[in-house]
Amino acid sequence: MAIISVWIEEGCITCDVCEETLPEVFEVTEDTCFIKAESRVDGGHDCNEGKAELKPEIIAEFHDDLLDAADGCPVDVIIIVESGEAATVEVEEAAISEAEAVTVAEPIAAEPIEIAGDDIEELLSVGDRGLSILFGSQSGNSEELAAKWAKLAANYGLEGAVHDMDGFDLASLSSMKRVLIVCSTWGEGEMPDNAEELWLAANTAGAPSLAGVHFSVCALGDTSYEFYCQSGIEWDERFEALGATRLLERVDCDVDYDAPAAAWASDALAAMAAVDGTGVFHEDMVEAVKAHAAGDEGGADGEDGFTVPNLAAEPLHTEISIFRYDPTAASTGVDTWVCALPGHMSVLAALREIKNTHDGTLSFRDGAVDDQSTAICVNGRLILPGNVRLDSVAPIREGTLALRIDPLPGFEVIRDLVVDHWSLERKRESSKPWMVAATREGFATSQATIGTMDPVVANALHSITDFSSAPLLHASSDAVPHANGYLGPAVLVTAWARRNDPRSSDNSVASLDTLLGSSNGIKAETDLVSIRRQNGQGVVVADALLDAKTSVLAQNGFNGRHGKHVWWYTWTLKSSGKVNDTVIYRQVLGPAGLLGNLTSGVTARMVTGFTRTGGDMFYDMLALVAPPAGLGKMPRQFNSSVDKHHEVVAIFNELDGRF
Amino acid sequence: MKYAYHPGNVAHSSAPEVATTMTTLCYALGIELVPLAGATSCGAGIVRQANRRLQLTLNARTFAAAEAAGLDILTPCAATAGNLAEDLATLKSDQILLQEVNEVLSKTCDLTMSGEVSVHHLLHVLVDEIGLDKVEEKVRNPIDFVVAGYYGPNMQQAGACGGDDVYDPDYFEQLISILGGTPVQWEGRVQSVGVPGLFSEEPTVLKQAAEVLSEAKAEGADLIVSACNLSHGVLDVYQGKAGRNTGLATNIPVIHLCEMLSFALGNHNNRLAQLRTRIAVIGD
Repeated sequence: MAIISVWIEEGCITCDVCEETLPEVFEVTEDTCFIKAESRVDGGHDCNEGKAELKPEIIAEFHDDLLDAADGCPVDVIIIVESGEAATVEVEEAAISEAEAVTVAEPIAAEPIEIAGDDIEELLSVGDRGLSILFGSQSGNSEELAAKWAKLAANYGLEGAVHDMDGFDLASLSSMKRVLIVCSTWGEGEMPDNAEELWLAANTAGAPSLAGVHFSVCALGDTSYEFYCQSGIEWDERFEALGATRLLERVDCDVDYDAPAAAWASDALAAMAAVDGTGVFHEDMVEAVKAHAAGDEGGADGEDGFTVPNLAAEPLHTEISIFRYDPTAASTGVDTWVCALPGHMSVLAALREIKNTHDGTLSFRDGAVDDQSTAICVNGRLILPGNVRLDSVAPIREGTLALRIDPLPGFEVIRDLVVDHWSLERKRESSKPWMVAATREGFATSQATIGTMDPVVANALHSITDFSSAPLLHASSDAVPHANGYLGPAVLVTAWARRNDPRSSDNSVASLDTLLGSSNGIKAETDLVSIRRQNGQGVVVADALLDAKTSVLAQNGFNGRHGKHVWWYTWTLKSSGKVNDTVIYRQVLGPAGLLGNLTSGVTARMVTGFTRTGGDMFYDMLALVAPPAGLGKMPRQFNSSVDKHHEVVAIFNELDGRF
Repeated sequence: MKYAYHPGNVAHSSAPEVATTMTTLCYALGIELVPLAGATSCGAGIVRQANRRLQLTLNARTFAAAEAAGLDILTPCAATAGNLAEDLATLKSDQILLQEVNEVLSKTCDLTMSGEVSVHHLLHVLVDEIGLDKVEEKVRNPIDFVVAGYYGPNMQQAGACGGDDVYDPDYFEQLISILGGTPVQWEGRVQSVGVPGLFSEEPTVLKQAAEVLSEAKAEGADLIVSACNLSHGVLDVYQGKAGRNTGLATNIPVIHLCEMLSFALGNHNNRLAQLRTRIAVIGD
């Protein structure tokens, strides 16, 4: 391990032993000991608490004497500062365009901390773990990144400290073991304002040697400028010229810097963390450090013998495409952002981030995590965005989370993701959802007389109306956008709950039955599956609406097209075990409907199998005796029965004698 | 690989092409189909509107028959897969209900079911069980079209879509790709076309169908391939009427998943030729 500096701690007893051992470096004064100016790179004459480096020739000549002096100090106040890198150090003085090579005559074998095999904990905890992050910033982006990485440094066993380049003491760099630089470029390849002074200092003849400093640079820039990332490039070259050791290649980031900067930081922090407390870089430990920082260490052992996995917040490569609508220009489109976001971030937080950092014109309904008005559609899934994490909202394919965010279907769009809920409110109002209660028995309490309800009934009624968002539920029906008057599942399930509430009066129940059985009621829902498949509440609501439909059909005696369809479908099933389309067409549509199918081309398409690839044109002997049955895609007039058809009939007879 | 075969509601009647191509494609892929000769219609979500317990019990009889054969159920119809999976999950999650249904089954059919059976749609068997690499090896006639795969909503429910995603599936697109086609990314692929409401709410259903058809066209599809026998019928037979009622462009060939797969595996070359012709002549 190479000596790079020496300094005197408090407590010197001025015994003169050190000066006698090495008068070229040590000078004992009345109350302490100084490191002589002639021996120091910075020319200072004091205890050297700033750990300014010793001149290389002094180190080369008096290496052993320095160690002897430190060993001989009776109160151990002589502190030797060592580095793992002792080699040729070139000091390039760019400002004066002169190069002066300073060579350490005799490389000294480094003595790194002994890391026992996979003892990552020791590496990340012993000795100096400081990490300095210097930022040169014009607009604040570099400063923001530096602050973020300083926080992340703790995950790597580092003590991150952020330094503004403005006012930074260049001399202090030489005593640092780990330095990250993030610097933007301003104008035509110029340093940002806060970095100019430090840059000038770094290019003077008195710039300190940075031997022993491990560094890496993140350069921010804009490819539309000629001198792309010039400031970062210059810092990278200058640090190398001053003798610092580059642990990771510089990254040059364009205006969308988040993803590349995050990837670089992940590698750079791991590399910096692999520099031990004495300044020796353990390259073979970098991957282990990464795994450690990601929490991949097997987890914590629980008391019952199971292992609690560690949770890692890896950034997700995310492509977010958002529907845009500008009512002023009456234009629609899709905007896409590619970014790295933490998987635990909610969809709502991601929208806020985009709005705050990239496009302030993006419009969406913001609110609390359970605010029902915030509902949106993500990849076909209807969600409250504050409640759903990015890593669970849609499948991650080929390492990328591709999100398509749309406004809720079935509502008029006001702007971008903001929809007008007023149409739902009008429907809710028209359903007269207020309670019209019947007089009933109850218990007298000190406050008033209150009624009681069977807990089973109360629980059932509560569960079917306990949906998180009325707009979300309304939008889950695929029929809603196409059936103008249809009240929708949110209104109808509420009406169904009220209709079954034992507190409702007879008049109220009759009114609600009329509402449910109306043309805009439950019969207007063409397919309950679309509601059922949207999250867990959809199942409960769809089952309740199915009950409502069954009730309405029974009350109407299976009349009307809807009732006939259900009736004759079920009837044909009893007849043969198979559905008979011909019977259904004939019984439900009637002569007028069949004629309509003839004139509208529906029947012709059945016969010809218009768009299909067909098969046999005649697939049944019935085609010869009773055309068009057995032709093309016309359904059969007569079905053969399923095996053991009598069992089917027996089930019908057991469960429903109406058919 | 052996399955109890449920052809769905209309393969015996208005969709015979599904029945014939299912047979040939399964032969090519080494899938042995054991007919469930006694199986009834799944109810298509319609019978349960009259009597939920009735549809549950009829499907429980089908499950009992498959269990007796020691086989899982395979169907090419998304509506059947969805309805059967839904009823199976209902029965398995409520032991009291299962006991009551078994009492009726025992009394009327001398059968009982345990729930030790599962229901699969053909698409999920291809991806999850057979593997698309194996399917790709057997492709003889690449389907070199731009294809919009239509899943429908029935099998896109939790527990009914195999290993695919409920809301943002991609099994169909993967299959189309390995068959030589170019899949279309479109929102309409899991939307309902309102089959249960076809006769009673025809105007709404026509709008739903027209939206799906027109979106596939707008995305550049040469044809739609449906994983659902029932939706297939609406998308095909009613597409002209849907277009006239809504003013949307709806003319596009619609075939079933079984047809596309069977053609790609080298069967029914004359029908594939028909399809090429229809793609060339149908449209705007």
